[in-house]
This record gives sequence, C-alpha cells and structure tokens, in this order.
Amino acid sequence: MALLDVGGVTKRFAGLTALDNVDLKVEAGSVHSIIGPNGAGKSTLLNVLTGSIKPDRGSVVFDGHGLVPLQPYEINQLGVARVFQSPEIFPELSLLDNVMVATFAARDGSYKLNLFEHPSRAGELRQFAEEVLVDVGLEEHLTMPAKHLSRGDKRRLELAVCLAHRPRLLLLDEPTAGMSQTETHSTVELLRKISATGMTKIIIEHDMEVVFSLSSRITVLHQGRVIADGPPAQIREDEAVQEAYLGGVHL
Amino acid sequence: MIAQLRNASPRREAVFMAVAAVILIALPWIMPYIGGYRELATRILIWGIFALGFDILVGFTGYLSFGHAAFWGIGAYCSGYYLLHANANALVAILIGVAVATAVAILLGYLTLRRHGIYFAILTLAFAEMFYYAALAPLQDWTGGDNGLTGIRTPELFGVKLDGDEMHYFVAAWTLLAIYFARRIARSPFGLMLRAIKSNETRLQSTGVNVYRYKVTAFAISGLYAGLAGTLYALYETYVPTESLHWTTSGEVVIMSVIGGFGTLIGPMIGAGIVLYLENVLSASTEQWLLIQGLIFMFFVIFLPGGVMEGLQRLADWGRKRHESATEAEARGAAPKGASAPTAPLRQRSQKG
Amino acid sequence: MDIGSLALQLLTGLQIGAIYVLIALGLTLIFGTLGVANFAHGALFVIGGYLGWLISSTTGYWAAFILVPLILFGIGVILERGLIQFFYRRPVTDQILVTFGLALVIQEILRWIFGGSTKPFPPPTWALIPVDIGIGYYPPWRLIIVAVTIAIVVLLFLLLRYTRFGLVVRAGMHDPEMLRFLGINVTARFTLVFGFGALLAGIAGVIGGPTTAIYPEVGMAMLVPSFLVVVIGGMGSLPGAIIAGILMGEAVSLAVLLYPPISQVIVYIVAAVILLWRPRGLFGHKGVMG
Repeated sequence: MALLDVGGVTKRFAGLTALDNVDLKVEAGSVHSIIGPNGAGKSTLLNVLTGSIKPDRGSVVFDGHGLVPLQPYEINQLGVARVFQSPEIFPELSLLDNVMVATFAARDGSYKLNLFEHPSRAGELRQFAEEVLVDVGLEEHLTMPAKHLSRGDKRRLELAVCLAHRPRLLLLDEPTAGMSQTETHSTVELLRKISATGMTKIIIEHDMEVVFSLSSRITVLHQGRVIADGPPAQIREDEAVQEAYLGGVHL
Repeated sequence: MIAQLRNASPRREAVFMAVAAVILIALPWIMPYIGGYRELATRILIWGIFALGFDILVGFTGYLSFGHAAFWGIGAYCSGYYLLHANANALVAILIGVAVATAVAILLGYLTLRRHGIYFAILTLAFAEMFYYAALAPLQDWTGGDNGLTGIRTPELFGVKLDGDEMHYFVAAWTLLAIYFARRIARSPFGLMLRAIKSNETRLQSTGVNVYRYKVTAFAISGLYAGLAGTLYALYETYVPTESLHWTTSGEVVIMSVIGGFGTLIGPMIGAGIVLYLENVLSASTEQWLLIQGLIFMFFVIFLPGGVMEGLQRLADWGRKRHESATEAEARGAAPKGASAPTAPLRQRSQKG
Repeated sequence: MDIGSLALQLLTGLQIGAIYVLIALGLTLIFGTLGVANFAHGALFVIGGYLGWLISSTTGYWAAFILVPLILFGIGVILERGLIQFFYRRPVTDQILVTFGLALVIQEILRWIFGGSTKPFPPPTWALIPVDIGIGYYPPWRLIIVAVTIAIVVLLFLLLRYTRFGLVVRAGMHDPEMLRFLGINVTARFTLVFGFGALLAGIAGVIGGPTTAIYPEVGMAMLVPSFLVVVIGGMGSLPGAIIAGILMGEAVSLAVLLYPPISQVIVYIVAAVILLWRPRGLFGHKGVMG
C-alpha cells in the first residue's frame, strides 16, 4: 500500500481550477517529484497535503489517516514535514533553538503544559538537535540568531527543523530555487544522504537535472491536471509532457 | 537577554534571586531618600507583578493586549468583595480573586486569540470595557457602582494585620515568587514555544505545534499574574475603585512595559518603577503629568521601542566597543584616540552572547 | 409600550448607529488601505467635537459644519506625514502603540486647553424643538444626523466607484500588493486616505458632539464601540461597517427602552455573540485580514 494516497482532489479559487481531480500515489521509501510549468497547481497540491488549504473535493490518506479534516499541526504530528519555497524559520531564535522547537514538539506532541521544566533536563534532546544541525552542515554559530544566515543556510536550517521531527514523509518545495551552482550541488548531495535513510520524499522542482538525478518516480501537473506519471525514463519520453513544456525545456 | 537567562546556572540563579529579595525588601527604606514615600515601594511591586505577567504574553508571543484591566479589576473586585462580606483572611481572598481572574482570562483568550494581532488588540480592549460598564451599572449591587468597593477591612495573615511594613513584606514575598516562576517559564520548553510564536507562527504550525492552545495558555498565565496583582492592590488599598477595570489601567501596564522594555521580564518591572516614581515626583509640581507620561511613552515607541533595557544594552555595546577599540589602539600604539571603532562582526558578537 | 414610541426609539437607534458608522468608516478605510488600526481615531472625533463647540459658539453652527471637517482633514494629513508614515514598515505592535500614544497625548492636550469638564455643545435651537413626523414628535437634530450620514455614505460610494482616487483605495483594500503594480504614487494617496478618515471623524464630532457631550475621554468611549463595529462588520468591509453600525445603534437604543442598565454593555454582548458565530465578522473575507 502507498504511504500517501491522494484521490480525486479538486480545488477552485474564484473561477480558476487550481487542482482538477488529481490522483497521486507515493510509495514508502520513494523520492517522488512533482513537476510542471508555473501555475500548474504544484504548490496548491502541497498546501492541500499539509492542511493549509482544504480541497473542495477528494481525499488525502497518509498511512491510513484521512488528512483533509486535520489541522496543519496534526498532519505534521503524523509525520509529514514541509520545507517551504522561501525558507520559513524562526529568524529571532538561535540555530539551536530553531531545532529545539522541533525536538520538543516531537517529544511532547502538539501541546504540553510543561511550564517549569529546567533546561538541564533537555540535555539529550539538545545533543540530538546539535547532531541534526551537523547533519545538514550547520555546525558553527549554534547560538547565533537564525536571521543572520545566508539564504542557502536558512534552507538547510529549515531542513534540520523538519528532520528533527523524524518525519516519514518530507515535502520539499523547490529546494534549490535561487541557489548558486555550488549550493545546488551540495543541496542535492544532502538530499541524497537523507534518501539513504529511507525517508519518503515529495519534491517540487524546476531544475530538471536535480529532478532526474534524485527521483524514483515523477508526476507531471499541467493546468491542475495530472498529465503523466511514471518512472523518470518514461516521463522523459512522454509526448504530452514535451507538449506541456512547449518544447522550452529538453528533458 | 532571554538567551542569557536560559543559560544561567542554578548557582547564578540563586544569587540573582537573593539580590532581588534584598532589593525588594529594602525598597521602602530607599524611597524617602529619593523623593518617594514608603508605601510607594509596595505599589511599585504590585504593578511590577502586573507588568511581569503581561510580558509573558506580550513580550514573548508578540500579542499586544489592551484589556488586562479586566483581570486586574476582576481580581481586585473578587478579593475585595470577600474581605468586605466574609472575613479578613488574606490568602483566601487572593485565591478567590486569582481563580476568577484566570478563569475569565481563559474564556476571553479563546474568544480573542483566533486571529492576528490587530484584531486581538481591539477585542481585548473591547471586552475589558464590557466588564467596566458591567461593573458600573448592571452589577452595581455587588460592585458599588461609581463608588467602587469601599470600607474593606484590613486583611490578616495568620492573625497578623497586613498594614504598612507587614503589607510590604507580604507583597514582596509574592513578587519574589512571581519573578521566580516567570524566569522558570521563560527557560522552559513552553517559553521557547512562546518565543517561536512571536518569531514565525507558520513555521510553528508546520512543526506540529498547536499554536492556538499555547497562545491561550500564555494569555491565561498573564491573566493570572494580572489577577494576583489586582487582588494585592485591593488588599493594599482596602478599596477597589472603578478605574481598576477601566482601559486606562490596561494602558498603564502597556506604557510601563514599553518604557521598561518588552520581552525582558525585568524590564517591565523597572518600567513600573519608573512610571510610578515619576508620577509621584512630577505630580507635585505639574498638573500635566498624564501629558508628560504620554509624551515619554511616544518617545520610546518612536525612538527606542525596546525601552530602557534596549537603551542599557546599546550603552553597554557602545562602552564595550569603545573599550575594545581603545585596547586595540593601545596595542598598535599608533592609532589616534577617538578613531571610529571597527564594527564587531555579528557572528563574533553572537558567539559571546 | 406602543408602536409609536418603539418606532421613535428605532429612529434614535439609527441616529446612534449613524455616528458609529461615520467613525467606523474612517477606521475601516484607514485600516483597509494603510493596514493601520488607528487607535487615535476617537481622539480625532473629540477634536472635531471641541472645534465644533468653539466655532459654533463664536461664529455659528454652519461655519462649524464646513470648517471642522476641513481642519480635521488638515490634521489628518499632518499626522500621517509627520508620524504615521514612519510606521508602515514597523511591526504591527508598534503601529498600535504609536496610535495609542497619540490618542493619549491628544486627550491630555485637550484636557489642558479646555479642562476636564463636559462642554455644553447645543445644536441650533430650531433643531431642538421636536416636530411631528407622523409617528410622534421628534427632535429634528437627530433626523439631520441620519440624513447627513446617508449623504456621506452615498458620496463615499460615488467617490470610491467613479474616481481614480477611489480606484486606488479599492485596489488597496482588496489587495495591498496590487497597488505596487499599478505604478501610482501610493504615498500621496495614503496621505489622502488618512486625511479623509480624519475628515469623517470630524463630521462625526461636529454633528454627533451635541448628542454625546464633549469631554476629553469621550474619544475612547466612542472609539471602542466603533472598533467593534469595524470588527463585526468584517475588518476592511465598508458595507459591513454600515450594517454593523446600524445594528449596534439599534441594540443600544432598544436596551435603553427595555432595560437601561445594560445599555452600555449591550454592544459587547452583541459583538461577542456575532464573533462566536462568525469569527471573521459579518462581511469578513480571508483576503483582507489574512
């Protein structure tokens, strides 16, 4: 059974159909890319998956749980984490505290009234948070406010926040957008390293090199519809996909 | 500021609390030397508790309330009513006032925290006004209407009348407790969640945290502090004026907090001290104290939104920079005095902090 | 209670609502375009009241009716240029704090100049003598307030619908981001909007002053219900502000008739019920408030 099963999801905004009867199956352990031209509905789909947008119709089932009626935080607690297109971090908090928020949320659930817990009790969590930061390549300046990081490093930090929760499904919205060649390269390496742990991922990406080097399966969205779905080799040959991209991009 | 606080060792914390205790107890003896009077110290501590709890909500989560008069006033009225009609037991009076104020805070929190800041500020202001007008007319049989609650007996603690210095010690003990717990909360995972709310609610939601419940809890805690301060005020004044529920009371704690510096815990308490002290000193020579207070407040909002604490921080940074550049100049032995100090790179500074 | 007195009471409700509407329209215009919740708006209303009292007792009421809104417009422009504009890029909290501080300072300056006591601000004598309006005798002044408010609302809608200024304001209220793409001098329009909001508060002060009495604290007393009108109407919604304003006015008026002690509490009860039922207000939509 698929880890994530999206069935017939439709979402309209004031006359515009952003998602039109979208089906998507994501197998456990796979790296599933969603591609398509701008405005194809990729980000809307991610928003539906994480619960920030409610679909008009359709179902989203993650590991046996229907996600549609759930709040974003409940969906995250089930094991779905998301890296946003423009990095969403806690700019005023230190790098370590950024990750500590996630480790506490993983330990305590969505809410716990632990008003008086002494910091010394969280030693193990702190150590784990530091390890996660090292994993994404942020081992320095742990007590610096996160707002001073470069854009690429903010993305790494956001990834660390997501990973600290040990998610079973990681959603990445254009992880290499606005990055230099070197940064893109190191991000791909990082993602590959995470994939080695068997974590399931959904990636939205414009950089086809990144897509084809990472993905085990690709879904193509165009004007809110799924026009192709299959392993990379098959997508590369698909004529409808070539058409959708207007020949502008050679796959 | 808070980052430093989180890393303090138990021993440093004990020293901090001991120093705080000495200052709180010594305050009535200092006051007369600087133009105040003994009881002013007690007032400052009571407002300090109010401002301290207010900071847990506003300074940490960033949600600005204009309605905390409701909890202060409800605390005051409930404990005053108890003292007036039951007996002089100070602890029971406080317990009742705090319990009712906290319950109302939970209710109002659920109603007002559903959406973002502007909406919250308006609604807290509005619902506090509701309690004010309710006390004024429909509930006047219990609240005394325009006159407030008068003729409250002097409260007692285990047979000791709480008056003058005894009252001050009593309030100082509560203040110490309030400071201790506020610092514990600030350092706890709960405190971290509150700061995360201020920093980025979207990220916190997507990190599996029920932001709304944390906000309601923070609101309830600040309501509890406000209620405690209100009950102490009623005990201290043995009188509950209708102004306790008026928006000017909410405004007063906002003004104190801004002048002292939101998000620093100690800052708003210092702000309470500054405002009450200046009021006492300036009211003697001018009738326009409220105008002066308004102008001071505007000055801080416009030029120094971090309050006195930010001012001190800037002074310290400036002093350290001067010191550093001076030692550097000495080391080089050539650079002229007063040469512009090299700005310390952010990373270097934060590693120290 | 007979039908006639109920009808008269409803008319009074309409008049009370009219003043809320005038203040709330200014608030919602400023909030919708500039994104600032103006806590000093009640203070502008009081300035209008004091100036109305001053000018009408020296020069005459008509002069006050013409001059006061113009002066308030000027004050609004000065405040926006001199203070508010520096806060567009600051946190929401700072915006609230600075307008709150402004409200305090204006209130205290007014107290300094005029003293703390209530100023008798009577409308023209002819407007006080009740006339027969079919359902009973009623003071013309209150009818004039309703008529002026209706005229202002109509003018406002024409202004927003058919002028370039209106287009910018509507665009701003619909989607602030859009303004940047229109390539219009947004800053100048912002100043006009703030001035215009102040002008509306001035009109409310000069025609409403005689019914509310004029003293320094009346600003906050009027601001809070007006803010509630904005919130339950749906923040940034002009029709919402009008309907909510009338609703609040009628609620107050009926409370006076049925159980006077709750007349000052009723607006909050109505607001609480509506917000429990519709947290975004009657006409609230996601776009404006986020």
